[in-house]
Amino acid sequence: MADAIAALADDVARVSLDLPLRANLSALDNIALIPLYQRHFDAAESARQAQTMLDELGHAEIALLRDSDMTPAQRFVTKLARACMLKRPRLVIDRPGAMLYDVPYPAFIAHLASQAAISGTWEIYDFSWNQALYQA
Amino acid sequence: MHFLATSIESLGAKLAGWFTVGYALFAFLGRAALLLLEPSTWNRATFDVVIKQVYFTAVQILPVFLAYVLVISWLIITIILSTARDFGLTEFASEMAIRVLVLELLPFLTALFIALRSGSAINTEVALMQVNNELDALVHCKVPPMQFEFMPRLVGGVVSVVTLAGLAGLLALIVGYLAIYGVGTAGFEPYTRTVSNIINFNIMAGLIAKCALFGLAVTLIPVTAGLETPKKLFMVPVSVLRGMMRVFFAIVTIEVVSLALKYI
Repeated sequence: MADAIAALADDVARVSLDLPLRANLSALDNIALIPLYQRHFDAAESARQAQTMLDELGHAEIALLRDSDMTPAQRFVTKLARACMLKRPRLVIDRPGAMLYDVPYPAFIAHLASQAAISGTWEIYDFSWNQALYQA
Repeated sequence: MHFLATSIESLGAKLAGWFTVGYALFAFLGRAALLLLEPSTWNRATFDVVIKQVYFTAVQILPVFLAYVLVISWLIITIILSTARDFGLTEFASEMAIRVLVLELLPFLTALFIALRSGSAINTEVALMQVNNELDALVHCKVPPMQFEFMPRLVGGVVSVVTLAGLAGLLALIVGYLAIYGVGTAGFEPYTRTVSNIINFNIMAGLIAKCALFGLAVTLIPVTAGLETPKKLFMVPVSVLRGMMRVFFAIVTIEVVSLALKYI
């Protein structure tokens, strides 16, 4: 499965254990890197966009936390916000169970998806033996 | 015969290793230099990271660094003055102090100071980024690591070492004046004449070039050593150890070459 994920096209935004946050940056700064470097907004505007993304996902309070201070769920939300900020047509969540071991994750992801005003499709790649979790 | 073959093999492997490291170092430097020349590199984001690097490398340590320079300068100047008096060479004391301190010792100690404080931190951070896949994550997000992480560190290192060595030199000149002539303006004219005789344009350009090379060595080598780290956490201390040894040898080599060019 890891190979299949790695072979995904360039237009896919990934949320994965293999793509960590920058450890010395806050959640907000990790997300703000995208508008800052890809779209050349200034620092203030990039931070505003990052904060809006966190607000949309319902986790505004984690903005100033660094990776080591986050719970697994908060870390996942930051990675998801970063991936959403990429504004790619497909978003792939790679083995969510490896990242979200502190919450019942299918429900958690469904809740996040219902909150975020984001276009494009979300796909979840998970082990076949976890299929029952999604049908519950 | 077997011993000879093993020795040659071992020597060959070492030479090949050094060549690989050297090639990686200069290839990285070339990429960074090309990026520096691209106008698109110098956007607000990169400039902000460079400013942050200069702040962390130079500004944050300023009080401790200046106190350290003050103590070292005072001690060395006192030793030079007392030795010069003993040998009846007092008229050469100021020239000797300026040559030893401002041109050689303080830039060297500044580079060592930055290497120990920032070079080791850079090496560790880049090694951890490499091991934890943080660089891969940046590439996935199309945030160029060279522009965001590495190039600002190189620029920050060069700017920091040049400015700190300049400040240290200036402080040493003031301490030298006070030690030789005391508080008063009587010695100002002969002292400034001696300074201007020693620090001409060529010497100044050489000093700036040497400090810039020191700055490059204390940042470029840790970055490349960090990038060489295999993706195993226990290799991080080994990477820092290797990187810091290379930094030490590079600083000593730059100093020796500069001395040879100046005095031989």
